[in-house]
Amino acid sequence: MLFNSLTFLVFFAIVLALHNAPFPWRMKKFNLLIASYLFYAAWSPPFVILLWISTAVDWKVAQWIHRSDDTARRRFILILSMATNLGILGYFKYGGFLLENFTVTMAAMGVNYQAPDWNIILPVGISFYTFQTMAYSLDVYLKRAEPAKSLLDFSLFVTFFPQLVAGPIVRPSQLVPQFATPKKATPPQFYWGLGLITIGMFEKIVLADSFLAPAADGAFGAAGALAPLDAWTGVLAFSGQIFFDFSGYSTIAIGTALCLGFALPNNFLYPYAAIGFSDFWRRWHISLSTWLRDYLYIPIGGNKRGRIRTYVNLMITMLLGGLWHGASWTFVIWGGLHGLYLSVERMLREAIPEQNWFRSLWFKIAMALVTYFLINITWVFFRAQSFDQAMTMLASMAGIAVEPEKVLYLNEIVPAAIIIAGMVATHWYLRMRSMEDVIAAAPKWLIGVIWTFMLFMLMITQGSDSAFIYFQF
Amino acid sequence: MPSSTSSSKPQLARPFDDDVVRRPVPERPWRGLAIISVIATIALMVGWELYWRANWHIPGDFKNTTSLWAEQRRNAKGDATVLIGSSRILFDTDLNVWENTVGVRPIQLALEGTSPQPVLADLAADEEFNGLVVVGVTAPLTFSGYAYRGDVIEEARNEAPFERAGHVLWMQLEKLFAYTDEATRPKTMVFYAGLPLREGMRRRMEPRKLEIMNADRNTEMWSRVVDDPAYQQLARDVWGNSVGPMLEGLKDPNSPAYGAIAEQTNKIIAELGADIEKIRARGGDVVFARMPYDGLYEEIEEKAFPREKAWDKLLAETNSIGVHFKDYEALQGFYIVEWSHLAPRDAEAFTAAFVPILYEQMDTATGASAD
Repeated sequence: MLFNSLTFLVFFAIVLALHNAPFPWRMKKFNLLIASYLFYAAWSPPFVILLWISTAVDWKVAQWIHRSDDTARRRFILILSMATNLGILGYFKYGGFLLENFTVTMAAMGVNYQAPDWNIILPVGISFYTFQTMAYSLDVYLKRAEPAKSLLDFSLFVTFFPQLVAGPIVRPSQLVPQFATPKKATPPQFYWGLGLITIGMFEKIVLADSFLAPAADGAFGAAGALAPLDAWTGVLAFSGQIFFDFSGYSTIAIGTALCLGFALPNNFLYPYAAIGFSDFWRRWHISLSTWLRDYLYIPIGGNKRGRIRTYVNLMITMLLGGLWHGASWTFVIWGGLHGLYLSVERMLREAIPEQNWFRSLWFKIAMALVTYFLINITWVFFRAQSFDQAMTMLASMAGIAVEPEKVLYLNEIVPAAIIIAGMVATHWYLRMRSMEDVIAAAPKWLIGVIWTFMLFMLMITQGSDSAFIYFQF
Repeated sequence: MPSSTSSSKPQLARPFDDDVVRRPVPERPWRGLAIISVIATIALMVGWELYWRANWHIPGDFKNTTSLWAEQRRNAKGDATVLIGSSRILFDTDLNVWENTVGVRPIQLALEGTSPQPVLADLAADEEFNGLVVVGVTAPLTFSGYAYRGDVIEEARNEAPFERAGHVLWMQLEKLFAYTDEATRPKTMVFYAGLPLREGMRRRMEPRKLEIMNADRNTEMWSRVVDDPAYQQLARDVWGNSVGPMLEGLKDPNSPAYGAIAEQTNKIIAELGADIEKIRARGGDVVFARMPYDGLYEEIEEKAFPREKAWDKLLAETNSIGVHFKDYEALQGFYIVEWSHLAPRDAEAFTAAFVPILYEQMDTATGASAD
């Protein structure tokens, strides 16, 4: 079910009541597990079977790997696990894409291949929980961790509802041990958790859905070329929409878990104040970027095999990172651009010696704005429905499009401009601070006013139950 | 905004380098803040609710969602009587009056701005349905196939369990509060705010709120459209904005548009006929109705879809009976608020007059076929 729905509020109230009832810890974990399955089944009950397959396969595989000292056997078992996980992911997520490209390739070779219809529904969040269970088997294979001792704890790790469908992608070492001993939120944790849920809901329902989506959808929904103001508004609005949508989800997930007494890691740290792209990826979708770093970039050699190989590894990692988001060439280009940015940044760092003025405020602000500008270029490919549309949008942004049209009204442009300016300024302010510190130092009346404002806005906005963008990944 | 993992010093996240995730809680009197914020929010909400009640909105007005339609669609089984079509049959038929007149309460499945074709096809494909379908014909929609809410059928089929549950919960709020209407949302208010137009752009002309809808989709025109002259004019302007260009394209009697319209009309009549046959083969029936219109709609409907080429042809080729408001004195003289829909009281009176005529026609047709 969606966080931004009445169903979830009722569901969460029941889960909280059960979690705080005087039951044994084991029974509370069962409650959480059943609640998590219900949470997932609320989209489509049959897809719960995928969670069971992932759980069963990786539970067994990790045990077999752990028991065996034979390298070849361990590797074979790991491949079995990877094949199962990636096979499920590939079938549901990439089958249609592969078929479509196969058909195009055949046509290019003069073979008229008629592909069968591919009407497979993508199970929500499949990329997230697949990566999470793969991390578990890989950690055991790489001897970074021992297998979980309890099937119940492991099942809950795979299925824990707050972060099941859109992360953060948690490592087993972070979450499984938390299930070992009874957990219950202290009153401050509980209320702060509710505060985080409010912030996350506000980001999603009020900022992303109500005031940024209209501008982004209006611009990217247009048939032809746009006037530069419309194109820029649409792209900047999307940069805000996707941040508030996804960061909102992560914040709700963290708050929800905290209300139950569990700690989830951050997924975002004010990414639009990043100076450079390695900085950006330490701030944007942190749980995915670190996953790719630990399980893909480093295993293929990272930066330990020479300069050229480092660039190649960066490119491979980011291209696959792009493909993780969806079965489309526009996502591949998005990843490719990020790979290119990271490689060029690395090259420049090596070529240009550190200067004193690099540390000046104006230079940092200029570099942050350049970074944000280049990030927005990547968002064009991420949001566009096709390569052609992306190129048209880029031409529109550059003011060189043919027959540009105005499609956005001031009603969309003004709110988007205010929110984007506020977002970038806030990211900059919090760049080297933590929100907890800022709140700890803020006047009580101000916290009360802001909390009331967010609650009131949520109540009157009501939410349209629109899905989170990252649910499709 | 996401929070940081550290409350002591600024740091960039290296969360996976630590096995233990810490979530510091800012030291504040959270319980008191939470209670005060909730009380303040409730106070603001009371004011908000009273404001909207003083401005035309009422509790018990349900949003015309896919889930609401899906709920009614699930009732359309067996020998049920079902109304389909677009907004005219939605606004102009009162289900209570219909039920009081003939003892049968119809199921309202009409969708605004949408040709009846997708819903008819859905009913035709449903082996469990063998009832009566009353098809409201709004010519520019029926004979063009335009389906503003055409996705509803597929969405209803794929409705997720949580959506169904959410719909039931949301309805409980809609019963009690007026502020739940979509027109009261900040997003809607900003969308329609009277900001200056950018050079070369035309005024926004999307249809605005026109109806009050009950839990079973029994629908009447919103009192503001009837009683607020400025809002009523706005509604007309919106229709004019969509109909005007169509009329412009038909000024020349030799325009190729006429040929295209005729071709499309014939195609749609044939497709409707195929679906009608499926329903009749199972023992059901399909009849047609033409609800009142005037003003600009009179112009466009008479010009683009003359009776002999559209309505009469439809009845003849599908071997159906139909009630056209122009054929009966009892169905004329009602107050059509904005050229297309009747005011609530007129809709009741119209239904009271329309239903006997329809059933009499059906009885006559049945008698004729029995002879």
